[in-house]
Amino acid sequence: MEFADLNISYSAIAPEIITSLTGVAIMLIDAFSKQGARRTNALVAIIGFGLTLAALAGLWTGTWTPFGGDYFSGMVVVDHMRLIFSFIIVIVGILAVLLAGQFLKDEELPAGEFFSLVMFASAGMLMMASAGDLVMVFLGLETTSIATYILAGYRKYDVRANESSLKYFLLGSFATAFLLYGIALVYGATGTTNIVGIQKAIASGAINYPPLLLIGAAMMLVGFGFKIASAPFHLWTPDVYEGAPTLVTAFMATGPKAAVFAAFLRVFAVGFSSPTTGVGETLQETWVSVLAVIAVLTMTIGNVVALTQKNIKRMLAYSSIAHAGYALVGFVTGDFGPVAFYLLAYAVMNIGAFAVIQMLARPGDRKTEISDYAGVGFETPLLSFSLAIFLLSLAGIPPTGGFIAKFFVFRSAWESTPGLRWLVIVAVINSIISIYYYLYPIIVMFFRPLPAGFSKPKVGAGVTAVLVLTLAGVFFLGLMPDRVLGALNQGRGAARVAIQEAFR
Amino acid sequence: MEILFILFAAIAVAGALNVILQRNPIYSAIGLIVTLCALAGLFLTLAAQFIAAIQIIVYAGAIMVLFVFVIMLLNIREEESKIDRQRYLKWLAAPLFVALLAEVYFVIRVVSYDPKPLPAQGAVPPGQILGTVESIGNAMFTTYLLPFEATSVLILMAIVGSMLLARRERTVSEVTIVTAEQIEAAQLEREDEAHETETVGAGH
Repeated sequence: MEFADLNISYSAIAPEIITSLTGVAIMLIDAFSKQGARRTNALVAIIGFGLTLAALAGLWTGTWTPFGGDYFSGMVVVDHMRLIFSFIIVIVGILAVLLAGQFLKDEELPAGEFFSLVMFASAGMLMMASAGDLVMVFLGLETTSIATYILAGYRKYDVRANESSLKYFLLGSFATAFLLYGIALVYGATGTTNIVGIQKAIASGAINYPPLLLIGAAMMLVGFGFKIASAPFHLWTPDVYEGAPTLVTAFMATGPKAAVFAAFLRVFAVGFSSPTTGVGETLQETWVSVLAVIAVLTMTIGNVVALTQKNIKRMLAYSSIAHAGYALVGFVTGDFGPVAFYLLAYAVMNIGAFAVIQMLARPGDRKTEISDYAGVGFETPLLSFSLAIFLLSLAGIPPTGGFIAKFFVFRSAWESTPGLRWLVIVAVINSIISIYYYLYPIIVMFFRPLPAGFSKPKVGAGVTAVLVLTLAGVFFLGLMPDRVLGALNQGRGAARVAIQEAFR
Repeated sequence: MEILFILFAAIAVAGALNVILQRNPIYSAIGLIVTLCALAGLFLTLAAQFIAAIQIIVYAGAIMVLFVFVIMLLNIREEESKIDRQRYLKWLAAPLFVALLAEVYFVIRVVSYDPKPLPAQGAVPPGQILGTVESIGNAMFTTYLLPFEATSVLILMAIVGSMLLARRERTVSEVTIVTAEQIEAAQLEREDEAHETETVGAGH
């Protein structure tokens, strides 16, 4: 290949470049400042994310780089799906940086590394969303995963964080190995790692050894399934989410999940979807059926086990598993719109809930049992009412964003694929079950006696900003979803595939 | 060629079995070196000289030296038998493994399609053979330029992370130290409190 054929476009990868360089800049500022420049670093991180947002908006208008093209010989694509998921990732990054200030100050942890790791993790997530090639998917996933392994163990003198980090690292590496082996087998079968190239190879029937393709796809399904915490690959989730610092839990449950969903959608709903020839048809029917079963298992296990949890972080971990299941219901329609809207709403309400828990749990996460929150309701009204709203939104009660997101996913699945309507019925039953455990902490907060010796937590400016932003987001998505949906509808069709046909 | 493949494959499998069957970790490490060398031989038969050399230099050389160093530093001797608690898993693992093998067999034998024939020997002109240093260098700086650059972010971040986790703090905040004993004590306290509330409630 000649250098000129590469189709190099720096504006196409501007968001990734800006986040990576901001990460490096933060490390340099930290190294040359006398004693941990926490505020400066947070400010630089926010500016970096602001510039990334500007770059994404520039790409959205299509003035710098034509829309729908691929760059760097097919490694990076510019389309609506990429940009929408990138917006979600940057929003998660900004909220995490705002939350981090108080966490790092209260626990006297080093600030420079924290912010730069958040920036590098975001760069990895953006790479995953923009990847047009399995090699970039893998690199983005590794960058994100390694950053989150370290962030989970950021409190290195806390045995719970050590357990969380090591468990996540060992099981995560195992899952990455599955994904990589799957990529190797798919490459062996199709002769290319480019996702559109794989689709074309399957459509033209030019498969070297068809069973390799099926086994490879199955292994990639396992790898992605682990990273989005879907059952039966969810066993790591509660331990990791409980042990990691609360803010890191909020970050890993939302950002990486959205990014992996973007890559998962692109590989399966684009790459493995050309139901024209023999093996293509088998492959597509198989993965859609397998994902439907995984969605049912994920929702049911997440919700039923969450009913018995006494620790609020474990409860939200199982709720996170259940929410991955709801998003998978949208996934099987092959349309990214409902999935992206769902993940955006989930990110906003989940980070909000974890922000309140970070405050109520106090430095060091010492109070994370639900019984610890007895009677705090009217003592700290801002925190407890916010938490109540976020929990109601997670349960999917109108007029919150959680309700509209569920409604949009379920309606899209119901209308587009009549063969999978049973899946929607299971999902609705599951969301009714979930109301019980989301209401329980609210009852404990407001209707149980306050234990003696309660002192109000001091809420800093960053956390207040996060609460205001996430509350506004929950109601904005709940009351005025048209604007976001309008943006999503622009890009539909690009990733919509013929799955609906197969299951009609 | 087939004889070479069978030979190297057999050595690789034997080495891999040795890794998991030995009780002494040093013997396991040596078994892994045997497997890696046999894999390098397999790569050579596929005309991938560069990968074969890298396999020996990086994996059998550098990484295995690290393995052996860690084993020596930690002074691991024999495997300790601590697995009593999960003994039943052994009986669960065997049927699951057989089921996995059956699935793979099913996919390969029953779901059959006509495979595309391999190119005849000598059909590929020498300039296009992948796996030479030239072709890998060419691919790395053209087609795979962006992944090559993106790897630098990954490596930089891994260095930052390992530095962070390994370095000694000058001051450690009281808040961040949580030991297993503290967690247990907090749990006991919580149970006591719950008990007290119950007795108070009964008194009323």
